[in-house]
Amino acid sequence: MINFGGMPTYKIELEPVGRRTEIEAGLTLLEAAQTAGVELVATCGGQGICEGCRVRVENGKLTPLTLEEEALFSCDDLSKGYRLACQAKPLSDCKIEIPPESLTTPQRLQLEGHEQEVELDPVVKSIELQIPAPTLHDLRSDVVRLKEKLLEQGMAATNIAYPVSKNLSETLRSLNWHTRISLHTNEPGNGKSTIVAALPPPDKAGSTMLGLAVDVGTTKLATYLVNLDTGETLARAGAMNPQIGYGEDVISRIMVANDRVDGRQILQTRLVETLNDLVIELCNIAGMQRDQIVDAVVVGNTAMHHLFAGFPVRQLGAAPYVASVSEPVNIRSHDLGLNIAPGAFVHLPPNIAGYVGADHVSMLLASETVVSKGIVIALDIGTNTEVSVVREGRILSCSCASGPAFEGAHITFGMRAAPGAIERVQIVDGKVLYHTIGGQPAVGICGSGILDAVAVLLEAGVIDTKGNMDSTHPLVRTRDGKREVILTPAEKTGHGRDVVVTRHDVNEIQLAKGAIRAGIEVLVAEAGGITNSSQLDGLIVAGAFGTYLDLGSAMRVGMFPHLPMERFRQVGNAAGSGARQMLLSAERRDMAAQIAKKVEYIELTTHSRFTEFFIKSILF
Amino acid sequence: MRDEFFQKITASVVDGEPEITVDLTKRAIEAGLEPMAIIDQGLIPGMDIVGKKFDSGEYFLPNLIFSAKAMQASMDILEPELHARNQERKMAGKVVIGTVQGDIHEIGKSLVATMLAANSFQVYDLGVDVKPEVFIQKVRETGSNLVGLSALLTTTMPVQKDVILALQEAGLRDKVKVMVGGAPVTRSWADEIGADGFAEDAIGAVVVAKSLCKE
Repeated sequence: MINFGGMPTYKIELEPVGRRTEIEAGLTLLEAAQTAGVELVATCGGQGICEGCRVRVENGKLTPLTLEEEALFSCDDLSKGYRLACQAKPLSDCKIEIPPESLTTPQRLQLEGHEQEVELDPVVKSIELQIPAPTLHDLRSDVVRLKEKLLEQGMAATNIAYPVSKNLSETLRSLNWHTRISLHTNEPGNGKSTIVAALPPPDKAGSTMLGLAVDVGTTKLATYLVNLDTGETLARAGAMNPQIGYGEDVISRIMVANDRVDGRQILQTRLVETLNDLVIELCNIAGMQRDQIVDAVVVGNTAMHHLFAGFPVRQLGAAPYVASVSEPVNIRSHDLGLNIAPGAFVHLPPNIAGYVGADHVSMLLASETVVSKGIVIALDIGTNTEVSVVREGRILSCSCASGPAFEGAHITFGMRAAPGAIERVQIVDGKVLYHTIGGQPAVGICGSGILDAVAVLLEAGVIDTKGNMDSTHPLVRTRDGKREVILTPAEKTGHGRDVVVTRHDVNEIQLAKGAIRAGIEVLVAEAGGITNSSQLDGLIVAGAFGTYLDLGSAMRVGMFPHLPMERFRQVGNAAGSGARQMLLSAERRDMAAQIAKKVEYIELTTHSRFTEFFIKSILF
Repeated sequence: MRDEFFQKITASVVDGEPEITVDLTKRAIEAGLEPMAIIDQGLIPGMDIVGKKFDSGEYFLPNLIFSAKAMQASMDILEPELHARNQERKMAGKVVIGTVQGDIHEIGKSLVATMLAANSFQVYDLGVDVKPEVFIQKVRETGSNLVGLSALLTTTMPVQKDVILALQEAGLRDKVKVMVGGAPVTRSWADEIGADGFAEDAIGAVVVAKSLCKE
């Protein structure tokens, strides 16, 4: 709480949109959201009768429940901390989680990834069988009957998933003994085959075999429904990672798992619940049934991988930051609570190290980095930026602590890529020009916008190589001794305040881009073959921010080395693409395992030259 | 000429230009200026200005790093000169500093170490991932009166407390002041674990260290 001598004011953090605002006491959370430019559904106009603006309180004190709220919410909702934003008034600084349904405009989630043609050879095979029905002269059990028929077709099934055998008798009879068996052929380590589903025969409803690909990001979830018969992606759906409510970054979630007896369980449950909602959404889009999803591949950074699978994460929170499990694993969907075909396996590709996970392996796979010619860098920018260099069959990888600045955190008007975010900035004839997502009045700046802003301010001589702002420059104003540049004046913004870039913001970008560049430089030095990163043969950029960022700006601020434009490749959500490839091709799944085995992991923080490179790289 | 040298050295520290500071330092020595005077009237006023600019929000981490580098580079030249003259800087205190066990973040801790050294502290930097017993051993060995504990992860912050407890067990707690820092560390955490001082940044750390040594 800050007191300016009049009304006390409170700081309100709005998650997962990542906006922060400050309001006077006596105002509601709805008004707080509005000052921050975050549009909540308020169909009833804030009278407390429509439930449109329901939010969940993470922490902080609010005024007691109103009668309207008591009438609307169930005991369960109340115990979870749900309130109506139009009714609740803060009595302290608060952190509020806005469920997606309460936001009028969805955030931009990146689901596309470049499709790479892979030869269709899924791990889960399909075999159509007409099984002879039992008679008084043929008294074999249903399972034996099925297995022997399979053997006749040249397929030996060693196992049958328990959920399949549990319902087999009913299923086979309802299908008139004509079925399409899904046979999982790649049990790691033992080469055994397992019957994971018995679907209706081809041409009948519900006969299509489906696969689920999931990219579990620390912030966002991306899911894809894939037709295993054709290789086609039938549906895509994204959501925020619900674990955000327990901390924005990986470390704070590890803390939750460490501190609370049920912490690990809660984080896993919340994640799986949201994935189950996404599965329903995917099936609705594609007009399919959940039971048709006979295979799944889930990628994520090591912490997300562990939290999803229920593996311990304590050791990820302290040096030397080792993974609990790094080899590929198959877990039964049933054991994870994931609502797909109950006999299906969920495949988790291998991790490289504590902070370089299966998502990076998946990205290296899909982007074809490993088969690139020459010396090539591939990276995925996030709170932790994973970087790999490939040279003559060697792969070296590291993780840079680049921080969440490009996701909007720690930036004065930072926000995630959502409507009203400034995403492009230019200076023409001494005037700032910008573009917002959705063309709406500016409310903040997203990652690509802040990167552009810093680049053009450098270009215009507003900031120098150390990041100092020239107080005599016409674009710079000084308020309370602090220097800033106005991108959008108050009268044009969505919340009536100037949207500015401060010297502090420039500093945050210096630290973030410095960490990324230092990682690149360390890997280039370790890989050898070239003396300067400007001689790289290629630089592959994955991820949402990596797709929307302006490469020229990234080079101008020194985040990337100066390279001819044609040497860059922006590959979108390559981790998600890799997951889809691993559904469609057993060979790709093996390749991922080989990539992970091959990688030489470099720990940056203990690398002898890291500090030197970092300090050099925080300059422009 | 003296004053002009001092002013230029001060300016080069403020601007964070290590090469210029080194060049000026060498020329000042050649011109017969006293190393002690170069420190007191050239370098230290420069760092004072840097500290003020940092506090006012004009300067940020990159400025601190390069100004500290400039000061350090100059000191590397001046210390042998002092030694040759049998002179010693008056030390404000002796500090054992390190990043606690389980944590390998180096840059913030090293910056604090450099800023303390720049402000006349004798600094023993133990590096990163430092076990509690190593802190104890170094305090015993050097007779230091101050211990600085850095932790950059919420998961390693509890180790700061372990070191304080270890100091107690070793019977050293009343002989040293303990200060803690690192991005996730707060004043209330410092109070909770019984630390004597806390600072949010390297400039604040110098202020806190000075006041703890006066007590």
